[in-house]
Amino acid sequence: MDYLATKYLRPRKIPSTACSGCGLGQIHKKVVKAIDELGLDIGDVIWGTGIGCAGRQTFATWKGDNFAGTHGRVYALATGLRLALPPDKKIILTVGDGDAFGIGFNHLLNCARRNVDLTIIVCDNLGYMSTGGQYGWTTPEGYRTDSSPYGMWEPNWMQGGRDVLNILREAGATFLARHTSIEGQEAVESIKKAILNKGFSLVHMPYPCVTNFAERALGSRRPAVMYRWFKERTIKLNEKVDEKALGDIYFRTGIYHDASNSRPEFAETLRSRVAEIQRRFR
Amino acid sequence: MRRTLDTGNAAITEGAIIAGCRVFAGYPITPATEIAENMSRRLPQVGGYYLQAEDELAALHICIGASLGGLKAMTATSGPGYILYADPYGWAIGSEIPVVIVNAQRVGPVSGITGAPGQGEFYLSRYPTQGGNFETIVLAPNSVQEAFTLTVEAFYLAERFRTPVTLLADQLVTDGWETLILPETEEEIQAMGLKVIPRRINEGPEFYPATDEIDIPPVVLGHNTGAACSDWTPTAEGYDTEEVEWQHKHAYRLIYKIRNHKDLITRYEAYFLEDDPEVILVSYGSPSRVVKSAVKAAREKGLKVGGLRLISLWPFPDEIFTKTAKYLSVELNYDGQLVREVQRAMPKGSEVHFMGKCGELPTVAELMELIEALLKGQPLKAKPWEMEAW
Repeated sequence: MDYLATKYLRPRKIPSTACSGCGLGQIHKKVVKAIDELGLDIGDVIWGTGIGCAGRQTFATWKGDNFAGTHGRVYALATGLRLALPPDKKIILTVGDGDAFGIGFNHLLNCARRNVDLTIIVCDNLGYMSTGGQYGWTTPEGYRTDSSPYGMWEPNWMQGGRDVLNILREAGATFLARHTSIEGQEAVESIKKAILNKGFSLVHMPYPCVTNFAERALGSRRPAVMYRWFKERTIKLNEKVDEKALGDIYFRTGIYHDASNSRPEFAETLRSRVAEIQRRFR
Repeated sequence: MRRTLDTGNAAITEGAIIAGCRVFAGYPITPATEIAENMSRRLPQVGGYYLQAEDELAALHICIGASLGGLKAMTATSGPGYILYADPYGWAIGSEIPVVIVNAQRVGPVSGITGAPGQGEFYLSRYPTQGGNFETIVLAPNSVQEAFTLTVEAFYLAERFRTPVTLLADQLVTDGWETLILPETEEEIQAMGLKVIPRRINEGPEFYPATDEIDIPPVVLGHNTGAACSDWTPTAEGYDTEEVEWQHKHAYRLIYKIRNHKDLITRYEAYFLEDDPEVILVSYGSPSRVVKSAVKAAREKGLKVGGLRLISLWPFPDEIFTKTAKYLSVELNYDGQLVREVQRAMPKGSEVHFMGKCGELPTVAELMELIEALLKGQPLKAKPWEMEAW
């Protein structure tokens, strides 16, 4: 077994319950690697998840404390938890694209506004794959899914001049990055920065789903087809390309916004204000 | 003791603080807004946190998150917010997280009439979430003073049973001004019969044992106990499972930890029940104040009338319906909710009748009219509140 898995993950949860060929494990490993490289122990991290592929497959894999919230509400749950936990404990959430950018988007934005100290890894398989493959809010426009048999014609959060990370930046997030799961150490470095930011950090990580997405959208369940599709669309932020010529969805990867430790953290603010009021009333 | 004139909203706030509540997350809603306002002022004074959430879904989730981190938490709302609690309420039931939920009932359906009392969430408080396979604990105060004591009680039961407890009040109880006596010392708290237990921490590895036992510490994260809690069916260690056997065990626990310890929950008041009542009025919350007056007035006239005032609503106290009589359920709704449970629980040979009002209390005169008709065996006059089917 992988040394990181031996050190941090529960043997009971290995091998993963994800489909063979799924890219989720690539993200899972990068998060654990980032934790390891930061020298964090099992007791330093509380691992939370949402619902769907990302939530179910990563829940209770962490040797320490684990929780899984209701669909889309784990951000609110984690806000309450953040208040109760000592500030040095890290809360890391692995959630899906539907959870973060669909059903939970309101709570996610409010978390960013408050700058709650959370590290949110959005594991994005480009739609609702756990339920069989319906389109979601990052599904590439025009692509076929089980619920867009004629091609997805709803505008998504990724194309047409929109970027979900811009919305989160406006909302007050203090660290934002995007990496596809097929990237290497650069993704780990971003996750490390996200964990170190005492505030709202989010890393958007699109990853390949060979079972449902690839089957409908690309007409093949061969991992090579799906991984090649991802590789062609993973373009570093500073890389010069003719974006118009690409003519399809692509993922610009790197750090989008690093305002780490520049805004007061929510729980910290509450703690200090409450301490001040309490002194006055004693 | 401190004697004040205050509202039910203030009483609930002070009860929560005495019970050890240190987090309140809420969303403004009439007639529960003043609980949030009072909490925002009072909590920081005792080292607690007030949060205004983006909606009621977030409000209860924040409370549960705080509770999961080891802090006692409460939220308060009215009907339109209570229905939004469905999602986190289920999570808290399933993961067995102690939390207190106040519902100041107003007139429905939907937004209805905001500043008037109703009793429309009697059944919703029994089934506040989907999925079944659980029992709930619900307490219903009928005065400002009782709003205080039952809030402390709600926290106590939430800790012992590891479950959300709803305080099902109504607008008259929360907005009403009455004398409120507050204890100021530990001795006074005890003298009032109030019990407070601090949060305990489950050390694992059995976080969800298949037993009906109570007083098992809840999951608290951040202590590296290896806890796992989720919305999925848990194994004893908290792992998500699709195995039916574990679902049976989990359901058994959620149902029978409450059913098998019902005696610790059931609270009620009986009026003239041992004096051969032919008619028994059943009620809870603010209408029970008028009902009590009507029963007393009827007895003064020599009429054989009794009363049952429910203080705990769920689990429903079937066992207190021992007398064969003509039961009259007096409620603040026109559809008849409590009456259905009375019909189910009453002994064979009994009759059941219903009087509904909404937005205002019935009067003693109205109740007397009904009592006299029932005693004479006359049919109740056809009025909007009389449901023929009953």
